[in-house]
Amino acid sequence: MRLSDIMANAGLSIYAEVALVLFLVAFLIIVWWVFRRANTARWKSAAQMPLDDVHPQQPRTRKD
Amino acid sequence: MTGSGAADVGTVPAGVVMEEFSYDDAIVRKFLFATVLWGVVGMLVGLLIALQLANPIFNFGISFLSFGRLRPLHTNAVVFAFAGNAFFTGCYYSTQRLTKARMFSDLLSRIHFWGWQLIIVSAAVTLPLGFTQAKEYAELEWPIDIMIAVIWVIFAINFIGTLVKRRERHLYVALWFYLASIITVAILHIFNNLSIPAGPFKSYSIYAGVQDAFMQWWYGHNAVAFFLTTPFLGLMYYFLPKAAEGPVYSYRLSILHFWSLVFLYIWAGPHHLHYTALPEWASTVGMLFSVMLWAPSWGGMVNGLLTLRGGWQKVVDDPILKFFVVGITAYGMSTFEGPLLSIKSVNALAHYTDWIIAHVHTGALGWNGFMTFGMIYWLLPRLFQTPLYSKKLAGIHFWIGTFGILLYVVSIYSAGVTQGLMWRAFDETGRLSYPDFVETVVKLLPMYWMRVVGGSLYITGVFLLTYNLLMTWRARPARYDVPVIRAPGLSRSYVPTPQPKPAGEGFFGWVSAMRYHREWERMPIFFTVLVVIAVVVASLFEILPTFLIRSNVPTIASVKPYTPLELYGRDIYIREGCFNCHSQMIRPFRYETERYGEYSKPGESVYDHPFLWGSRRIGPDLAREGGKYPNLWHVRHFADPREVTPRSIMPSYALFATTPIPWQVIPKRVDVMAMLGVPYGDAINHAEAMAKAQAAEVAADIEKSGGPAGLQDKEIVAIVAYIQRLGRDIKAGAATTAPVASASAPTAGGVH
Repeated sequence: MRLSDIMANAGLSIYAEVALVLFLVAFLIIVWWVFRRANTARWKSAAQMPLDDVHPQQPRTRKD
Repeated sequence: MTGSGAADVGTVPAGVVMEEFSYDDAIVRKFLFATVLWGVVGMLVGLLIALQLANPIFNFGISFLSFGRLRPLHTNAVVFAFAGNAFFTGCYYSTQRLTKARMFSDLLSRIHFWGWQLIIVSAAVTLPLGFTQAKEYAELEWPIDIMIAVIWVIFAINFIGTLVKRRERHLYVALWFYLASIITVAILHIFNNLSIPAGPFKSYSIYAGVQDAFMQWWYGHNAVAFFLTTPFLGLMYYFLPKAAEGPVYSYRLSILHFWSLVFLYIWAGPHHLHYTALPEWASTVGMLFSVMLWAPSWGGMVNGLLTLRGGWQKVVDDPILKFFVVGITAYGMSTFEGPLLSIKSVNALAHYTDWIIAHVHTGALGWNGFMTFGMIYWLLPRLFQTPLYSKKLAGIHFWIGTFGILLYVVSIYSAGVTQGLMWRAFDETGRLSYPDFVETVVKLLPMYWMRVVGGSLYITGVFLLTYNLLMTWRARPARYDVPVIRAPGLSRSYVPTPQPKPAGEGFFGWVSAMRYHREWERMPIFFTVLVVIAVVVASLFEILPTFLIRSNVPTIASVKPYTPLELYGRDIYIREGCFNCHSQMIRPFRYETERYGEYSKPGESVYDHPFLWGSRRIGPDLAREGGKYPNLWHVRHFADPREVTPRSIMPSYALFATTPIPWQVIPKRVDVMAMLGVPYGDAINHAEAMAKAQAAEVAADIEKSGGPAGLQDKEIVAIVAYIQRLGRDIKAGAATTAPVASASAPTAGGVH
């Protein structure tokens, strides 16, 4: 019995479809998150990042 | 450009420690010089091989200058040396500024720079010498592959280290593109190059035939995706807002652009293997994902062009923006065309023709070239702290380059469509209209000359850039001003502004607050893991079935391993890069089977480490070449192709008849093949004697037919033996085996 015979008879193909659905769901969540109104301000601030070489848009420090 | 002197953050909360640092621009200058240098070299080699196709005299009869050896040098030089260094230039410049941090380690930056240049020099030496793995864009032999892996990991450590110590919370989308590129290229490089050495610069791929082809084009397509597309998209999302002096049109769209490419690109590779012996389900999956790529690619292009909204008057005056506009348009054109070419019926016409070459050059000359030039002109005054020497010359560069691209692609698109149509033309009696392959090549020569003109114009533009660079560099200050930046130091605690709404109760509240995603994006390591999952899972589901499910590659009982002499002949075929012009894969179309013979089966290449299916037919397919002509014909053809095929553009290989076979290497090569599972049996103990006996037979036949005597220890007998073997096994087995089921039916039993 070769490994390829075992794999061929293991019925693994369903997992490809499971992965496809999971990836689709992950993508839809990303789309939803990107277009959330609550995030508008974040994207606006992030889009400014290349324009200022000196000042961090959101410094990693606020308080210590 | 950073302002000179120290600069502060506007309001700093009490108790925060300010840190001082500076950006490392010396490394950016180094990479910029390397980009231009290798750009000139790579494009000059491109011009030379364009001349060789227009007239074979430009092969000069010198083995290390022949088309088959220089074509990989051209592709490697422009992809990994020119575009690679361009990516590093922009990456080192923008990463520091987007993270408000100096690179993680100056030493690692320098090792990365010098290591990469050493790799390029090694490639420039070994490829003309004929050391090649025969896999497109992965030709470099195993010692250089190891060097690439090491240097790439050093680059990754340096890059990720910078992200870890950054002073900016959010990772700007350009950094996502860089990170995904770095991770994916590492995975692709390692898995496609797995091989067993058979000498210091000789190795055999651990995969064979269908699996090797699948790995190669999974790699090959993603080399385009993750070396030429995503890194340059990162550059676009940084340098375009810089040059346009305004933010990207839609940051939201850029995030969707990123994730869609990561989810989709990795699947697209099999569209390079339509109608080959690859299982049909795989090629269909590749096509579907390629078609889906239309949406994010055009989303990205539109996002780029709309960034210039309200600023188009600037484009009129600014050569930098002109380069970016044409560059992004070329991205749009080639990513429109890519999915189109992945559709099987379109691919049937375009595959193996110059159409693909034109497609690639729209992307390479337009997108990669022009984005690089725009970026360089933007960087020059900032890196050398003096105004650009001549804006007018930059403008001339733009126009001359654009005209060069147009001449190049229009002529080569015409060549591709012309040849594709000629191959499939039948006359009214049902016979091939152009049965003589060379007719379909001669027809292209005027277009090849036009390509030479277009390419020359493009290179002239690059010379202008080089001059502009050198003159700007000469006017640099005696000492570069290194601005000191002041920014708040790092801290683990963080209170985002504006404050997010409090999360609701329960699981739904946790999901909708999306706090976890904010955590993820701040963690480069975890973000890396997500990208790796997306890439690896997709790759596994697509590629593994061909390894693990036997019905995907039906074996054929009559297909036997190459004899030791044929194996050495095959190595000569690989060394000379014959696969750059000759395919060994007949597609199941009447116009192919009429011309070349029975279509190719997956079981025929099970001993082909590496596979040699090829991707372009500048000469005819050779999958069934064995037995078509007598040995003497091949001897004369190699000595001077035009003696037997008057208008052939093949280089001559007269040296085969005088170069001795190094018999001592043959046993080692047979051993390695046996190690890879090729059933050589007892032959591994007598490889050299078997090779000598077969060589004597071939030499005797040549002499008997009136050819030269004394060839029994010369390379010519090995390569002739190999060519004469091609495609014969299946004929030998025809009487004893049942017909093999369709090459494109994965579940069909075939012959075991």
